[in-house]
Amino acid sequence: MLPNLSMFMKNVYRILSVCLTLLVLSSGSAFAQKAVTGTVLDEFGVGLPGVSVLVKGTTTGSATDIDGKYSLNVPNDQATLVFSFIGYSAIEQVVGTRSIIDVTMTPDERTLTEMVVTGYSIDSRRETTGAIATVDAKDLAVIPTGNVEQALQGRVSGVTVITNGQPGTSSIIRVRGFGAFGGNTPLYIVDGVPVGTTDFLNPDDIESTTVLKDAAAASIYGARAASGVIIYTTKKGRRGDKKLRVDYNGMFGATNPGKGLDMMNPQDYATYTWLAETNAAAAEGRPANYGHPQFGTGSTPVMPYYINVGGQSGVAGPFSADQLAQEAAKYNVDYGKGPIYQVVRAATGEGTDWYDAITRVAPLHRHSLGINGGSETSRFFVGMGIQDQAGILLNNSLRRVSFRANSEFDITKRIRIGENFQATYRRSLGVSGGAGGQGVSRDENSILGAFRMPSIIPIYDEFGGYAGTAASGFNNPRNPVAERDAIKDNRSFNANLFGNFYLEADIIDNLTFRSSIGGRYDNNYFFNYSRRQYENLENNSAFGYGEGSGFNFAWTFTNTVAYKKTFEKHAFDLLAGIEALNTGAGRSINANGQNPFSQDPDFVTITNLPVATRQVNSSLGRGVNFSSLFGRLNYTYADKYIFSAVVRRDGSSRFGVNSRYGVFPAFSAAWRISSESFLQGATWIDDLKIRGGWGQMGNSNNVDPNNQYSLFGGDIGASSYDITGSNSGALIGFRRTRIGNPNAQWETAVTQNIGFDGTLFNGRLDVIFDLWRKDTKELLFEVPIPSTAGFNAAAPSVNIGQMLNQGADLLVTVRGNLTSDLTYELAVNGSLLKNEIVSLAPGLEFITSGNANPSFRGIEPIRNQVGYSLSSFFGYEVVGLFRDNEDVSNHATQDGAAPGRFKFRDLDNDGVITPEDRTILGSPIPDFTGGLNFTIGYKGFDLSAYVYTSIGNEIWNQSKWFTDFYSTFEGAAVSERLKNAWTPQNLNATIPIVEKAANFSTSNVGSSFYVEDGSYLRLQNVTLGYTLPAPLLQKWRLERLRVFASANNLLTFTKYEGLDPAVGGDADLTFGIDVGNYPVTKGYTFGLNLSF
Amino acid sequence: MKNFKLKIGALLASSVLMVAVSCSDDFLNVAPTGLLAEGQLTSLAGLDASLIAAYSQINGRAQRMASPSNWVWGSIRGGDANKGTDPGDFNTINPIQRFEADATNVNALENWQGLYEGVARANNVLRLLAKKGDDVTDADVVRIAAQARFLRGHYYFQLKRNFDKVPYVDENVDYGAGLEDVVNNVDLWPMIEADFQYAVDNLPATQAQVGRVNVWAAKSYLGKVYLYQGKFAEAKTQFTDVIQNGVTSNGLKYDLVDNYGNLYRGAYDNNEESIWAYQAAAGTGSVNNANPEFDLNNPYNSAAPGVCCGFFAPSFSFVNSFRTNANGLPLIDGSFNAPGNQVKNDMGVESSSPFTPDSGNLDPRLDHSVGRRGVPYLDWQDHPGQSWIRQQSFSGPYSVKKYVYSSTEVGSFQDNSSWTPGYTGINYTIIRFADVLLMAAEAEIETGGLEKAREYVNRVRERAKNSVVMKLDGSGPAANYNVGLYTSPWTDADTARMAVRFERKLELGMEGHRFYDLVRWNIADQELNAYLDFEGAILINALGSSNYTDKHKWVPIPQNQIDLVGADKLIQNPGF
Repeated sequence: MLPNLSMFMKNVYRILSVCLTLLVLSSGSAFAQKAVTGTVLDEFGVGLPGVSVLVKGTTTGSATDIDGKYSLNVPNDQATLVFSFIGYSAIEQVVGTRSIIDVTMTPDERTLTEMVVTGYSIDSRRETTGAIATVDAKDLAVIPTGNVEQALQGRVSGVTVITNGQPGTSSIIRVRGFGAFGGNTPLYIVDGVPVGTTDFLNPDDIESTTVLKDAAAASIYGARAASGVIIYTTKKGRRGDKKLRVDYNGMFGATNPGKGLDMMNPQDYATYTWLAETNAAAAEGRPANYGHPQFGTGSTPVMPYYINVGGQSGVAGPFSADQLAQEAAKYNVDYGKGPIYQVVRAATGEGTDWYDAITRVAPLHRHSLGINGGSETSRFFVGMGIQDQAGILLNNSLRRVSFRANSEFDITKRIRIGENFQATYRRSLGVSGGAGGQGVSRDENSILGAFRMPSIIPIYDEFGGYAGTAASGFNNPRNPVAERDAIKDNRSFNANLFGNFYLEADIIDNLTFRSSIGGRYDNNYFFNYSRRQYENLENNSAFGYGEGSGFNFAWTFTNTVAYKKTFEKHAFDLLAGIEALNTGAGRSINANGQNPFSQDPDFVTITNLPVATRQVNSSLGRGVNFSSLFGRLNYTYADKYIFSAVVRRDGSSRFGVNSRYGVFPAFSAAWRISSESFLQGATWIDDLKIRGGWGQMGNSNNVDPNNQYSLFGGDIGASSYDITGSNSGALIGFRRTRIGNPNAQWETAVTQNIGFDGTLFNGRLDVIFDLWRKDTKELLFEVPIPSTAGFNAAAPSVNIGQMLNQGADLLVTVRGNLTSDLTYELAVNGSLLKNEIVSLAPGLEFITSGNANPSFRGIEPIRNQVGYSLSSFFGYEVVGLFRDNEDVSNHATQDGAAPGRFKFRDLDNDGVITPEDRTILGSPIPDFTGGLNFTIGYKGFDLSAYVYTSIGNEIWNQSKWFTDFYSTFEGAAVSERLKNAWTPQNLNATIPIVEKAANFSTSNVGSSFYVEDGSYLRLQNVTLGYTLPAPLLQKWRLERLRVFASANNLLTFTKYEGLDPAVGGDADLTFGIDVGNYPVTKGYTFGLNLSF
Repeated sequence: MKNFKLKIGALLASSVLMVAVSCSDDFLNVAPTGLLAEGQLTSLAGLDASLIAAYSQINGRAQRMASPSNWVWGSIRGGDANKGTDPGDFNTINPIQRFEADATNVNALENWQGLYEGVARANNVLRLLAKKGDDVTDADVVRIAAQARFLRGHYYFQLKRNFDKVPYVDENVDYGAGLEDVVNNVDLWPMIEADFQYAVDNLPATQAQVGRVNVWAAKSYLGKVYLYQGKFAEAKTQFTDVIQNGVTSNGLKYDLVDNYGNLYRGAYDNNEESIWAYQAAAGTGSVNNANPEFDLNNPYNSAAPGVCCGFFAPSFSFVNSFRTNANGLPLIDGSFNAPGNQVKNDMGVESSSPFTPDSGNLDPRLDHSVGRRGVPYLDWQDHPGQSWIRQQSFSGPYSVKKYVYSSTEVGSFQDNSSWTPGYTGINYTIIRFADVLLMAAEAEIETGGLEKAREYVNRVRERAKNSVVMKLDGSGPAANYNVGLYTSPWTDADTARMAVRFERKLELGMEGHRFYDLVRWNIADQELNAYLDFEGAILINALGSSNYTDKHKWVPIPQNQIDLVGADKLIQNPGF
């Protein structure tokens, strides 16, 4: 897959191979009978040095010289010569009568992927001692996501990916668990330059993806490596290519929103409205007093024809043509023309399917053009891509246009310069949720809105305006279609430039100096409108407009020296470097206001807003500076014993002078047991290496750059006062906004890793297994300050607390061919993960501070507590529903207890249900995640399937608060599940009684009622492709033509009752809460891969 | 070749040098942006800006439950109103009005946080004063310190009334310097008194900026603090002085505003009755300057002023209290809730069905305090009843009225820059002259001045008498108003006490006083349980089968604050 890398590193391997081969041969004894000579050429017809040439079944052999020539003696004509070289397919030749045997070797794609880009260097998988995983570039491109990192889901063991279905979203990516209380996003490196996000990358430009999981692999990145490192490199041309190669990859398709939750139809809704009164009356021992603005006051509800006629509810109909004409004359939805007057007909039958109304079959397409080529002294790659992806939710979309130009030139034989450059335009619209869309699941957004709107309300009124809860009796949900339509003219985009220049000089043989300076410039602009509403009970009362812009520039300057040398059996590989970087400095400005003279988008600007309504804010930031030194030593003895030591010293402006430097060492070793003589007989073992490592990595992501300072700030909203009594303006004052801690220092993650890499049965079976443990100590944690110090002052991060993550990663790949035409590959990966908060501040058992303890309609579902995982769910444990009054009186005293309501467990057995009875109810962190990738090829056809599973995680289904209780926002929509609610005849129900009260025993407190098993297994992708046969291609002068069809998310197996079990959130202290999750749904794509 | 190697060597060396230079310690010093260090605030301008921040916190800012209106803590708990709206909306208030709240209730935490933020800002000013810059004179120090201590006294007074004993944190302790070790086992009254005494001793009679507190506000507050402690003689001294000599910060002699309804109109901000008010402002760039705690406390309908959300619904008992007898006097014996005396309401009557409002004798302050069917709702329209009520069976038939904006105030005393228009720039009066008169009446009664008390009460009632609400078309009074004065001399302290207490309920209803008064008078148990029995029978879902027990006279100290410092240092109130 990485032909350019083979070129790039060819010299290194040539030299290494010569040495290795010589080592191997030095012990062999030869007895000559016949001399054979020849030349080994590479794919470009150039002599390939260092190729090992062995007589099969013996230790007799030789290696090619610098020109690719070899000579050796073979015992007889029946002897078979095996030519092998790292990165190339082995070739076997029976000697026969020949005395000159010339061969041309071709690169072996599979073996080449075994070279791994580890950031500052490129290493052979054979030589690595750390926990490293790679992803095939084509796997990244197969799923039509906007963010390449989403495609890692199920592809790499040890990496947890939680994402939602929203185009333009970012995902929760966690490498080996959750090491800290925040800032656990891995470090991304693109072409050697660290970046905060990879959303700008076009998957078709990516050449390699490497995940560095443990300290042995990652601590070369020192202070920023604790959450793992994900390294991307982009494509480069091939040196020596005589002709240009053009690749076109295109796909188009659509995503289907599927079905929403089952909500009650209008008639059932009315029936259950009456039932609630029946139950309430029975409980209170009084006659029922039925009534609803729409359904009358009779003993059974009467369905209205109109639900709103100029503010009148429950109007019979239909109107005659004359009446309707009169109504049309009165109709008005424009505040400028007087009071609102609507005529809204009740939806009948199954009523309005609001989920269907806010969603659509969403089209997507992606086109990438790659052009690459090179001469003997240069190579280049130019990539252009466009992706347009609509979300299933109205007016949610992602567009990314990217242009990439990578090139490298040999200035002299020893000096190379090169650059990587990308310009990207990215526009994601209608994305909801914090943290770049991650938080969408916990928002009360349009998706939840669709399940709050009663089905009896139509989307539009009789004359084309929006219908909504202005028709009384339905509480206050807002028309979600109007909500989504309202953002159609809103725009925001980001334009960025990213890249680096580098120089490489082979100062003396084996010593290479490299200098790279890279950066990223971001610019964003947005404008948006908010409409004045009329259709709801609670309307937005003004037309609003906002506009803003910002820029940010980050840079990295890296200098390294690499030295590789082999002395007999001792191979050394040294790397030393120095790096300085800034994480991004910039400014932003935004303004907003209300009620311009005209709402015509061509008119509305900030300038045209009334002065009194205008608000303008701006900010500036300088980013964080890092200054670092690092070094690595790899030593290999006899290709059997590998030892590696890494150390990095980082300084960061995040920390005060006393503690800003941290040193992060790592040591690891590997033993290639398959090279030992006692395993020589085990021919089924191709390669078997046992690895172990220990090391430290740092993290400071979770620390505000101002952490060391005590600061004061002014804010019109937080600290201003109209001291002059003007009634129209306020003077800004200053209050303490931060209490500083000059002594904070790095979090340290200590990792231990034991694993093995095995290649067995002639390459048919690959196994990579790792057992690991990551202890994060001196965790930076904002120990909550008692509010007596003032809650406006942010608490400083202090080094306290401890987190433990441990797990096992396994990757098993089986491949081969059943017949010469039928090939197969099955890759299974799985990861076990256990996360635990080991300690917090002394005496502190759980975190109570603001963002770790979010409140959803008065329910606080999260507790981060010692002994449990991050973001654990917390509340009362529901034993069942009270069966009857006797059950109530036999149970511990519980506020609001009554038949049909929740019976909470009295955990401390004190006879009263108190806050002390709350307990941990689950965790959103899966115990196991895994993927299965299966590919078979038959002649030109290829079929692949890809399954992802997440097991052992719970979801807090907060959406039930809205849909499963009649009394929460009484009048809003209710779930079909209420048909199984408790009644005196349905005592074993799990859904509480349909009633009007809301109290401690019903919906007012968090309980296990909301906690559901979130495990699932999903067939993420099935692709069938066909590659046209070579003769046809040659006729058309094409190199490759493949067409394919894919189905995404075809099947999902889960017990979860919400829309979709892929529930993320704002990690790390709070996630797994489903209020209005954006579901991952089925989609279909078709595409074309063309090369010429 | 050798030359070449030299060149490379030089390049390498220079690169390394370049990096080495840029990586010096200077490179790792990145100053904060957009913020100030303490040293920048010790100038006179910096000190005054810090004092502004201390004033700013009076309304709790985004902490709705820490506002001085005390609409939940004083009015709802006191029986003036119930939560309103429906069971699910803002349901953490439900257990508060039912007296079932436990220490995890988020509203108690919000109150605690908002008030202590005020304490912290006042302490910050005092700490900065100790480090004052060269341009700050001793007179400046006294002037600024007196205002800061007044404000701190206010925040602690609020804390004291809700939580009783709370940690007393002053400018001498701070985070990491003793603050965490302050134990809440001491009585706060001496410290609160000391702060107000300092303010009394050092504040001027008038201020160049009307928003700044003056000596008369300090004396009024000090009198109130005395009254809460039963120090009636001391209280009387302060109040008498205030009544006789007090002026507002802008120099107006204290008096009652002619029309009771004008107290709640923006145009009358900083009137002669306004002893201390939160200076609200609209269109400032943040609705936090525009009474953010009231955005939900409006009638409920997109055609209604404020649009949202039907919170703070006046209770039946409160409305019935405005019934007057033939002499225009209130039914202070408690018979106002008797069937014959109840005010007629539109429970269960749809807006489309006809309804005739009550025709009996009423105190007009009712129609300045409560929106009810058939009576003008400010200058908007006659209250249409059910269509402005979110869920009548839960909240009852009445709407909040005080501090809701009128149609003439749209765009001037009302801020429309957020999701709802219910943000008003009308000052919220924390202490007004009528309150002082009635407090003075209490002090007089307890020190034997019954007739003086009657005079004060009558002064308040006289104004009520002149505050008739007119029909929108101006054709006459909106109801049958009949207010009379207490004409016979008061000879019995008990009766006088009942009259004064009842007058406070009528005059200061919905203004956050009632619960604290009931507790202060030691009659919370009987009054509140009578109220809950009466209302609970009507609003079964809201208040049915709830009752008040004496432990609820204090709000439980927020559990998460106890969890932070330990139960030995932050001692929970008894019973929680």
